[in-house]
Amino acid sequence: MPIVRDDNLAGAAQWMAASGQYNRAARISLALLLLFYTSFTYAQLPFVQNGKAGFVISQFRYALPQDAAETGACPQGMSLNVQDIFAQTAAGKRLPQESDNEYSARLRSGGELFATAADGQNLCMNPEAGEPDPHFRTVDLSTMPMPGIDLDGGHSAEDRAENTCEHVAFTGTDGETGIDNQFYRVVGCSASFQSTGPSNGFDTEMLTGSWGILMTLSGLDDIVDDDSVEVSIYANSDPIQLSPGRKPLAYATYLADPDPEFSATTQGRIKDGILTTDPTDVLFHHVVNSMYLRRPLRAARLQLAVSEDGRLEGYLAGYAPVEAMYNVLYGYRDGKTSTGELAPLRLRSGSANGAAQVLGHTCNGAYHALYRYADGHRDPETGRCTSISTQYRIEALPAFVIERNENDIGQGISAERSNAL
Amino acid sequence: MRFKSIASGFTRFGWGLLPASCLLLSVGLGGCGDNQSGLSEPAPVGGPALMRRLTESQYRATINDVFGPGISIPARFERGLRVEGLLAIGTSESGMSAFSVEQYDAAALSIADTVLGAEHRDRFLNCATASEGAFDAQCTTQFVQQYGMQLWRRPLTDPEVSSLVNAAHQGFIQLGDYYEGLKYALVGLLVAPDFLLRIERTQAPPEGSGPGQLDAFSRAARLSFFLTNASPDKELLRAAAAGELDTPEGLASQVDRLIASSRFTRAVRAFFEDMLQFDLFADLAKDPVIYPAFNSTLAADAQEQTLRTITDLLIEQNGDYRDLFTTRNAHLTRALGIAYRVPVPTRKGWEVSEFSADSNRAGIQTHIAFLALHSHPGRSSPSLRGKAIREVFLCQEVPPPPPEVNFSVVQDPSDANLPTARDRLELHRTEPSCAGCHRIMDPPGLALENFDGLGTFRTVENGAAIDASGSLDGIDFTNTNGLAQALHDHRETPRCLVEKMYRFAVGRDTVWDERPYMDYLTETFAVHSYSVPQLMRAIALSKNFFAIAPPTGETSHNLAGLSPANGATR
Repeated sequence: MPIVRDDNLAGAAQWMAASGQYNRAARISLALLLLFYTSFTYAQLPFVQNGKAGFVISQFRYALPQDAAETGACPQGMSLNVQDIFAQTAAGKRLPQESDNEYSARLRSGGELFATAADGQNLCMNPEAGEPDPHFRTVDLSTMPMPGIDLDGGHSAEDRAENTCEHVAFTGTDGETGIDNQFYRVVGCSASFQSTGPSNGFDTEMLTGSWGILMTLSGLDDIVDDDSVEVSIYANSDPIQLSPGRKPLAYATYLADPDPEFSATTQGRIKDGILTTDPTDVLFHHVVNSMYLRRPLRAARLQLAVSEDGRLEGYLAGYAPVEAMYNVLYGYRDGKTSTGELAPLRLRSGSANGAAQVLGHTCNGAYHALYRYADGHRDPETGRCTSISTQYRIEALPAFVIERNENDIGQGISAERSNAL
Repeated sequence: MRFKSIASGFTRFGWGLLPASCLLLSVGLGGCGDNQSGLSEPAPVGGPALMRRLTESQYRATINDVFGPGISIPARFERGLRVEGLLAIGTSESGMSAFSVEQYDAAALSIADTVLGAEHRDRFLNCATASEGAFDAQCTTQFVQQYGMQLWRRPLTDPEVSSLVNAAHQGFIQLGDYYEGLKYALVGLLVAPDFLLRIERTQAPPEGSGPGQLDAFSRAARLSFFLTNASPDKELLRAAAAGELDTPEGLASQVDRLIASSRFTRAVRAFFEDMLQFDLFADLAKDPVIYPAFNSTLAADAQEQTLRTITDLLIEQNGDYRDLFTTRNAHLTRALGIAYRVPVPTRKGWEVSEFSADSNRAGIQTHIAFLALHSHPGRSSPSLRGKAIREVFLCQEVPPPPPEVNFSVVQDPSDANLPTARDRLELHRTEPSCAGCHRIMDPPGLALENFDGLGTFRTVENGAAIDASGSLDGIDFTNTNGLAQALHDHRETPRCLVEKMYRFAVGRDTVWDERPYMDYLTETFAVHSYSVPQLMRAIALSKNFFAIAPPTGETSHNLAGLSPANGATR
């Protein structure tokens, strides 16, 4: 039975022993107290059933420090889009008596030069054809307190994992050293990733049901200390359930994505109410402009505080493959339609170039910056790292997760119910 | 507390002796209304003939039955008047506002547009000669007679037919289109009092003395609305016209046919919707911060859950009515699963399951529909829930609170010294003027304090453990399951259902002289293992169901000259 520990009991026993009161009568009293405690004080937690608990991710965003304006992270200013870059050239200066509309049209036209490779390819669709962009500003400063966890287990170059690349780790908001978040260095000087920017908000798609994430804990005996818990992470097949105020609801039922690509299982443990897990590769859905994308995170770990009401809060951190991260955030090159076909080029290219303009970056600048700061999964042949440490701040609510496997199909409700967490 | 029901009144004068004596009396006086039970119906008493307004569900069901599904009725119906605990009684006492007339008119026009529109008219018109450009008097007459009979629940008189045919003709002249004109005949049928009101007509008693009787078509209507919640179908109207409802065999044949039909479920649902006061859901609001799971979907599903539980147990399983208070059958949707905190694998629609034995969910009184409806917007209410248990399930009326009572203590759940509702109510009961009623209301209500204002299970309130123990009229219990069994075993539980069912059927309160009849029905209910379909059958077959008390000066709705057997004239 899942329990809530009551440290008062242990304290009482310690006090009795330490104070010399631990005589026979006291032992009897303690035995009775233990009996009472076992029967009544250990409250049944509603979100744990038969050692299993399910959750739905209710908040999901990149774990980033304070804005650049407060940390001084971007002494050269923020990243520019292609029109801003063109405007800084002599040809891009506004002409005398040029109307707003005329100047805007000229900026758009001029900006296209910076969005196009020398061989004529569109740089958002082919960012490798472009050069690193000095107008795509990144963060080299490492002094800002960084939310997140240590991913590579080493705080110096010598004792980092073999397949990582040289990088400077951050110090956490709680003083822990070795926080790996190279992704922040890429986006920290982008206006859209500041606290008021649109790029770090997942609510629109997640809360309208475009995608979602589920979790389950199995073999759960104690939410405070449990040395072995099986943790599974799934994409959600159902839209998240919301209150009239558009807040995610606890205790809704969701079907895990039956595609095994979108599920992962790893081992975890809970110590002092904090769940941590071994690394595992996970894959989530992502949707932009009705295009379906894949958001992978390799060697992903969880560090979550578990509360008595079943809420989880903490970090999901790992290494995002650079090519996939570029597609999810900037290029949408592999965006699919709802039927699984490659989305029309016009939609992919138009969305990528439009986003670059609106969000304030260049595609080739972002692409090369991702590789520049990549610190994971070093290619043994090239020596180049292919993934970048990325941290998500997440919160989760209790939920019932239905895992449907091939054997359950046709078994009806009873099979599904027995698998419900 | 005032024991409103006349049946309950027996308990105050020595319950143990009365049923037997009444039974003996009834054997000597009455016929055999329910042969299967071996009990005899007392001499019929009856009540006045009534004019009862169609409820919204009856209106919609009738249109559905007459014209088929898919007929849009875009109208907002005036809310019903609840009298003596039932909207069914209010249908004979409520008026009809100008707003209602507007809505009926709009609904009639919409129905006529659909029925006689190009897409559907061939289903309803059997006239090969009809065309847009010419008025067809014969076809119009046939249409008016056929649908007039179904909508007005009796044959139309010749002047009534002529009037409606003339309306169609005038419409054709004005609009130049036969079907457009015919719509006005149909609208005339749909906005007439003869459709909107169930006008009961009487006939002399068969033996020339004793209480009068409803005439054949009024019998058919009362029977049909009771057993299908809609107007009589063609077969029942045929049987009425042929005089078959005047014979026990003919009546039983029609009653059994209606109970066996799929429309019977609709009638059972209508009764329990009324008894459980589901109309109050229209006004139900919950604080979205405290109860974020509450929304219109949950409210609709909660009502449907309880109704499905009822019809499944009472009709599909022909179960014991009292088991409604202990059943753990769970008809669930995902929206309900959130409130009940149980998994619902079915992604869309309903699934049938069972609440676990340790879930504390036993009986419809632990459903969201009951618990949320009888709570405040931001907190539970032992008093409202207890009052509802007394009034809805036991027919025991709890008077309203005296004026100028200080509710500040019970309305302040933030007082750390009074963390639970039990604590607050105990203090509130120190006011002598409140103590009497709260002693009656609170014990069953406090037993449901393990459910918050929405109906989600909880064990603590403001950090303090909830004590759900109590007593219901001498039956002690320690938790909600105990309350469920107490309600199941309470002697007033089946008697209250009998009384409400009969009052629902006849649209009026019972009268003192009907006490033996109520005993007869209650005994019959028990003999049939508390089967609700059998109870409804017994009511429908009883003489008292159609009996009309001798005139006491009120206007009789007798329609002289209307003869079911040889056609209608007036």
